[in-house]
Amino acid sequence: MLSTIHFLNIILPFLYLFTFAAYLHDFLQEKNTFANIKRIILFLTLTLNCFYLIFRTIEFNHPPITNKYEIFALVACTIAFSYFLLELLTDIRGTGAFIIFFSVIFQTLSSVFIEDLIEVPEILKNRLLGIHVISAMLGYSGFIMSAVYGILYLQMYRAIKKNKFGLFFNRLPSLEILEKLNYYSLIIGFALLTVAITIGIIWLPDAFPDFSYSDPKLITTGIIWLIYGSGLVYKIFSDWYGKKLIILSLIGFAAAMFSLILSNILQNSFHIFN
Amino acid sequence: MNLVGITINHHTANVELREALHLNRDEIIEFIKTAKKSILNEGFVLSTCNRTEIFGYPKEGKLDFNNISDELMKFKPVENITAKHFEKYFSCGAVKHIFKVASGIDSLVIGDSQILGQMKESFEIAEDMNFVGSVMKRVFDTAVKVGKRSIKETEIGEGAVSVSYAAVQVVEKIFADITTKNALVIGAGETGELAAVHLRDKGINSIAVTNRSLDKAERLAEKIHGEVIPFNQFTEHLHKFDIVISATSSPDYLITKNDIKIDMKKRRGAPICLMDIAVPRDIDPSVKDIDFVFYNDIDSLKVIVDQNMKKREGEIPKVHEIILEELIGFFGWYNTLEVVPTIKTLRSFFDEISNDELEKIKHKVTDEDFAKVEDMTKRLVGRLLHNPTIKLRELAETGTHTQETINNTLVLKEFFGLNGKIDEEQ
Repeated sequence: MLSTIHFLNIILPFLYLFTFAAYLHDFLQEKNTFANIKRIILFLTLTLNCFYLIFRTIEFNHPPITNKYEIFALVACTIAFSYFLLELLTDIRGTGAFIIFFSVIFQTLSSVFIEDLIEVPEILKNRLLGIHVISAMLGYSGFIMSAVYGILYLQMYRAIKKNKFGLFFNRLPSLEILEKLNYYSLIIGFALLTVAITIGIIWLPDAFPDFSYSDPKLITTGIIWLIYGSGLVYKIFSDWYGKKLIILSLIGFAAAMFSLILSNILQNSFHIFN
Repeated sequence: MNLVGITINHHTANVELREALHLNRDEIIEFIKTAKKSILNEGFVLSTCNRTEIFGYPKEGKLDFNNISDELMKFKPVENITAKHFEKYFSCGAVKHIFKVASGIDSLVIGDSQILGQMKESFEIAEDMNFVGSVMKRVFDTAVKVGKRSIKETEIGEGAVSVSYAAVQVVEKIFADITTKNALVIGAGETGELAAVHLRDKGINSIAVTNRSLDKAERLAEKIHGEVIPFNQFTEHLHKFDIVISATSSPDYLITKNDIKIDMKKRRGAPICLMDIAVPRDIDPSVKDIDFVFYNDIDSLKVIVDQNMKKREGEIPKVHEIILEELIGFFGWYNTLEVVPTIKTLRSFFDEISNDELEKIKHKVTDEDFAKVEDMTKRLVGRLLHNPTIKLRELAETGTHTQETINNTLVLKEFFGLNGKIDEEQ
């Protein structure tokens, strides 16, 4: 199994790159040469990525969440999975390149730096922790997608407003669709982050003796949750159109990135495992 | 091949001349009656606002193009039309031209899909008038095939190439589902009507029309199943519409920035799409400074039209490929026409001999034995003729060995004495 894991570790970045290239080709060429093939390629890549994560879990006897490179492989998979689901549900195939790009980056970083970890703290083998991390990663994948669709919306909005009928105008779906994609990704991201936070609040105090509510990672995650949550409340209970929620989703994404960097700088968190 | 044709179109004559020479359905029928008597054995007449074309087989094989144009001018005299306004085509060139017209690449608006329908109608008239032989029928069928393949296999008909359709294309880039949106068309002229029809065809939820002249507004509203809004009140109703298309001849702005500011307050910020396809403009262009107001005037929409026209021009080589393929197929079929009577007569000749010989032994053998001999004879004749038949047909189908085909046909006719028989059969 170890050789299979190593083989998948090598080919996965190339598979994501190939998938990304197929989506990018169709976007740039304004043609749907690979309309169905690219979806199949994405599905195969995604399946192999899932097998890779399962094999790692079995072989090393812990879910792949014990260091950032394992988590990167998980993030690459969750982003691709979220996009694949969204594409299946909406049949909008023109935006894949912008999302799968992130899977390429995360999987490449993971494949280059990941190591075979057999000995990890017992706490990291916990199944509840696995659900906590996976739901958090799926949540952040939702936020990444939401931010990408937000940027695409702003590009399209600008193109129409300024009457620039170029590549973006021709290839992107309508503004309303981009707004909906941004909104749905945000809802999914928010719901899954809520699940992750709930599990964390219930389970973490028991699992970690040095647990603290003033932990920087908990505070920043809370802020991110509040930013997205307030945006959703405004969207649902008042008439927020287009740009407002989109700008908020971009602020939320920037905050998430800031939180990630900050928590890696401040190493005194109980939330740092490597 | 003696197919000849003349055409007057946007390449050769201005719109006044083309319009003056346009033949309506009744005139086409009358002209075909005249042409059948004097100049053509078979053919067709196509007449649209951009072209009038007459193609056919001349009577008694006289290849005089002037006969056709003279007959047309006699039928419908138009001042200032001279021979230079007509393009003339013959044989393969004529077939190729018909295919080009059917594909839409010869149209004023490249990729125009209407022309195929108009050609079909012309073909139908010709058929109804018994003006069509087997070759002409094949030309029609292949032309229609070329037209359909061009639409299906290339992007020659893709994208908006009129300003009013480009406006609808922009609308579709703003709204996800046009069937849930409401539109207002200001101005019931030709441009307004075209835009309204496009919106209706796209399945717009509801459409309203406003016009200075109420009669015209009502006529258009009836046509598109819309409602009428009085012209002096339409600004009060603006907030009800997601799409506003304006195409009047008003010298002043009909919609000001302030109107839209009030409108957007009532709409609570919901996006509105304003398409100003009037010259001079009907809507104050400064409205585009307001958030979620998408404003396009005729110049910006023309950018889309030009882009799509360029894309269509880029598809022309692909259409040429289709035309070439179909030309090869057509002439492959056409060339076999010369050898088919020879092959048929040769087979009849062999069948006749075998039947004669079989008749001689019919009463000398048992029925069972006769059946065996008859069966064997048929197989023998079939095998003997298989190779020469196939070779001759193949030579003819390629179309590149004309002399060899003629020589082989002559040899067959001479050796088996088929000349008289072919004439008898024909």
